[in-house]
Order: sequence, then structure tokens, then C-alpha cells
Amino acid sequence: MEGQSGDITVTSANRKCSAVTGSARKIKDNAADWHNLMMRWEKLNEEGFNVAGNIVNMRLTRSQSDQLLLVDESSSPSSPSSAPSQQTGGAAELQDECCKLQDVVDKMVAVVTKMERLVTSQRGVQDLEEFQFGPEGRKFPLFHSWNTKHFEESSRVLLESFRQELKLKQLILQEVAHTATSDLCMVYLSCWLHQPFTPPQTRLTLEALLLETGHRPL
Amino acid sequence: MSKPALLPLHQALRKSFQCLENNQKVWSSVLVECSPLMVSLGNLAEQWRALSNVQLSNTPLRDFPDLEERLRFKLLQATDTVLGKLNEKMSSLQSVRDSISNQVSAVFQLYEQNSDSLDLLTVTERSATAPSLSDMLEWLQDAERHYRQQFLRRKTLLQALRADDLSLLESAPERWKSLESPSAEDGITDTLCKVSLFIESQ
Repeated sequence: MEGQSGDITVTSANRKCSAVTGSARKIKDNAADWHNLMMRWEKLNEEGFNVAGNIVNMRLTRSQSDQLLLVDESSSPSSPSSAPSQQTGGAAELQDECCKLQDVVDKMVAVVTKMERLVTSQRGVQDLEEFQFGPEGRKFPLFHSWNTKHFEESSRVLLESFRQELKLKQLILQEVAHTATSDLCMVYLSCWLHQPFTPPQTRLTLEALLLETGHRPL
Repeated sequence: MSKPALLPLHQALRKSFQCLENNQKVWSSVLVECSPLMVSLGNLAEQWRALSNVQLSNTPLRDFPDLEERLRFKLLQATDTVLGKLNEKMSSLQSVRDSISNQVSAVFQLYEQNSDSLDLLTVTERSATAPSLSDMLEWLQDAERHYRQQFLRRKTLLQALRADDLSLLESAPERWKSLESPSAEDGITDTLCKVSLFIESQ
């Protein structure tokens, strides 16, 4: 578990925590997992953006050539020979890209599922603490200053952002290959790329979590 | 017949041309770095335009509360980031302009101080290794003017850009490109060629 976070330095917080209780160990591991999951999400986001971009390009070129085809057919009764094969070739490629995008979204679903497990695990730590120390929780924080409830809240906030983001991406996946207007296609791409439901606070929350648990040096 | 004023003046001119040569390179490389930023700006402008053309409530995106507001915020952030980076590049361009301006004004000051002892013949005399004083001063003045104007135009273009003025953003990349002045740049390269022997000789 230590290896995953990569840049752990041994500080007094580290030493104190790994000696003290299993809860601290669990929270610290969760923080590392959050970091890794968010990195994975970013990579998938980038990959998905490229694929979605391809889909949009293919879709728009196709609708353009559809229109050209109609014009040709109306002006001359003999249909152009090369166009139909181009059409079917295009359709297969479009299908391919859609499958790739589906694949990316499936992987994102897996990431969010793991995030849900992290929140559940955090809830477990919280429950245990309430059982051991009563509703107020433990007197001294496990790390620097956050009480255990804070960890749970941070995790829930992170999870909610990613859940919403995933819903948005699932919609984009459904719609992007069928959208005819280039403006709406562009909006879908913007939504995918800029991730409107993960505000900058998300990144800051993660950094705060890593700082608190000692994964980042203070 | 050698004039005592000539030697320091020639030294100053050499220094100026060396300064010009170095700064020309810096200027070019900064402009090259600006290109991808301008492309990003154009992309963002396209995205803004598309968003303003679409009524989200008529699309499947209506199911997402405050999506438009959130997306606008993100686009704003991205636009501000690009504009910030462009401003940083402007600082570099300003340094180039300042270096050249300072150097050239120092040379001209030296010339003014000694102009009494420099008659027309001396000033227009050229040799195999050195162009005439008047030519060299003229070339430096031209170069200084070029960078001064370029900086001013580019800075003015960028200053006017706001994330909420879409048409300005959309036209920015093209207007930026139109500021390129290859003939002036070539002129400076030419100048540096003409003075290369002069710079090397002592």
C-alpha cells in the first residue's frame, strides 16, 4: 500500500500514526487510493476526450457528405459509385470509436465504484470510532488537525462530484454520435473536457487530504 | 584620418548589434511559444460561441442542474489561464524591447555628444569591413522602431481581450497573426549580415 502513493517521506506524523492504531493506517491508505483513482480518472478523461473528438468529426463530416449525396442524387439519376462504399466504411469506423468511448466510460464506472468503497470504508472507521469513544469521537486527532468525521465528509464530497461527472459522461456517450448540430457537439465536447461538476476545490480537497495524512510533506 | 570620437562610437555600435542579434532570437522564440496559446484561445472562443448558440433546456443536458453555469465557470477559468500565460510572454517581449531601446538610445546619445567632431564625410564614409556610421545608426533606429511598434500592437491586442467579449476573442488569433511583419524581420536579419564583419573586427 505504501508503494502506491510514491512520495512518502518519513515524518513525525507518519511514525506516530503507523505505530498508533489501525484506523490511522486505514485512513492513510484510503488517501493514497483517492489520489491514485483521481489520477486514473484524469487519464481516462483525456483518452475519452480524444475519442469523443473523433466521433464528432466523423459525425459532422458524415452529415456533410450525406447532404452532398442528396444534392448529387437530385441532380443526376445515376448515383455516384464511390459514395456508398465510403458511407459504409465511415459507419464502421464510427462504430469503432463509439465502442472505444463505451470502454472508457465503463472504466470510469469502475473508478467511481472503487470511490464508493472508499467512502464506505471511511464510514466504517467513523462508526468504529463512535463505538470506541462515543458520539464525540476520539479526543486527539489521528494526524494533524482533522477529526475523523472530516475525512468522511471530504470523501463524500469527492464522491458526489465524480458521480455527477460520470452521469454527464454517460449522457455524452449516448448522445454524441447522434447529434447533428455542430454547436451541440461542441458543447458535449466542452462538457467532457472541462468537467463542470469537479470544481477546483476537488483538487484542493485531495491535496489537503494528502497533506493531512502525511503523503505530502508539510 | 582617424577621429578620437570614432573608436568609442564604433564600440557602442558593435555592442548594439550584438544586443540586437541576441534579442532578435529571444523575440522569435517567444513568438513561437505564443502560437499554441493563440490556438487554445481560438478553441476556447469556439466553445464559448457554441455554448451561447445552444439552448441547453432544449437538449438532453437539461437534466443536469446548473450545468450551464458550471461550464461557463470552467471555460472562464481556462480562458483566464491562457490569457495569463500570454501576459507572461508579453513581459519577455517587453524585456526585448527595453534592451534594444536602451542600447540604441545610448548609442545615439554618444553620437549626439560627438557630432561636432564628426563631419559629413566621416559619417558617410564606408570601408570594406565597416558600413558607414550613418547607415548603421539608421539600421539601429529602424530595428528599435520595429520592436517598439510590434510590442505596442501586440500588447494592445491582448489588453483588450476579455473572457466575456466573445467576438474579440474569436478574432484574436487572426489579428495576432496579421501583426507579423516578415519584411521587417528580414530587414533586421539583413542588417546583421551587413555588419557581421564590422562586429568581428576590432
